[in-house]
Amino acid sequence: MNTRWQIWLAGGLLAAVIAAALYFPALRHQVDKAKQLTQKTAEQARRELLPPAPVSSGEPRVKAKMFWGTREQDGKLNPVTVELPLSSDPALRAKQVLNTLLAGPVDPESRTLPPDAALLAFYLLPDGTAVADFSEAIGTSIPSGIQSEQLAVDSIARTLEANIPQAQRLKILIHGQEADTLAGHLDLTQTFPVNMKMLSLAVPATEPQPAMNPTSPAEKP
Amino acid sequence: MVVLDPAHGGTDLGARGTEGIRESEVVLQFAAQVRKALEAQGFQVVQTREGNENPSFDDRSARANAQRGAVFISLHVASTGLAGTARVYTMPDLPTANDGSGLIVWDRAQAPFTSLSHKLGDLVQAELARRFKGSPNGAQVAPVRQLRTTAAPAIAVEISSVSVADRATLDRMIPGVADAIARAVTAFKPTYVVPMIAPAAPGVRP
Repeated sequence: MNTRWQIWLAGGLLAAVIAAALYFPALRHQVDKAKQLTQKTAEQARRELLPPAPVSSGEPRVKAKMFWGTREQDGKLNPVTVELPLSSDPALRAKQVLNTLLAGPVDPESRTLPPDAALLAFYLLPDGTAVADFSEAIGTSIPSGIQSEQLAVDSIARTLEANIPQAQRLKILIHGQEADTLAGHLDLTQTFPVNMKMLSLAVPATEPQPAMNPTSPAEKP
Repeated sequence: MVVLDPAHGGTDLGARGTEGIRESEVVLQFAAQVRKALEAQGFQVVQTREGNENPSFDDRSARANAQRGAVFISLHVASTGLAGTARVYTMPDLPTANDGSGLIVWDRAQAPFTSLSHKLGDLVQAELARRFKGSPNGAQVAPVRQLRTTAAPAIAVEISSVSVADRATLDRMIPGVADAIARAVTAFKPTYVVPMIAPAAPGVRP
């Protein structure tokens, strides 16, 4: 092979490397985008398969207590009484109050859950475990931090406690799966206590006690 | 030994503020100053990360779990909360973590240490409350994932917040946070006795 061909070959290889360097980031971007789209599509499909949020216009309007945050962002919950048409079935009623919690308070600054998060499913197990399955936005759109994540979980647990006496503990799933954390901080592998009075009656003293503190994020006594 | 844990890192930026403040970067600065303050008090200090990497929760815990008599402090900057305040979190009480062999179950490694963690947390929080008005007087309880697998007195310190209008507001807090932690750990040291993990009685399930 003469020198001229070697130069042409080297030039061709160099051009190929430059083209690849330019093309690969764009390709990676497209793959990432497609991955996100697939995830969204899967969640969308699941939402479509699930029965629509219960409409309860025929139900009597009753007072429900919702726990949202405060405008001052001081990590505290503020109980707000609202009048809602609520079902007498505990699981349906739980869906209704959680959807109201997700819809948010009048003042958006007092939200505890992201506006784009959705409740995908809710189950009330015979042992009093309330399983709430949220869309991925509950983890991806929530402000990152221990305080904000704790406030979000507490708002769900306290709202269930106030309105669903049968619920004793809360298990949070994200998109049907157990998640390690809500958004990098709060441990979702365990359950959160909802109704401590019921729990102390149900759990024998010799059994391990529930892991979570019912009054958090309040200070320890 | 004190294990300092600057949270997040790598592709996990943690909380992000409108002014471009990134939690993963700020906590490294906090850690550097806390380390200096602790070393000045005679403590040996290791960090779970010193650059922009993101060890797993378990790898971070392992730094403390490999030592006897270590203290673990995880450093965070929140997205929310009253600007210029600092909060300390400890893990809630966990079911007894004993698999019958006298070894601690990794997933509940914090269990034997929760009362020590509360004590350390209260000491750190009291020092922080003295320096940062509006901070709570006592440590709070929250199931922070990082703390659950740590077999040592373990706390998470969270500063508010990345949402401050000016990064200097956070920078001004660094010396106070470092001094508060160093003083509290010094006060905690004489009371720290590593708990004994007794093997479960035969036939008793953990």
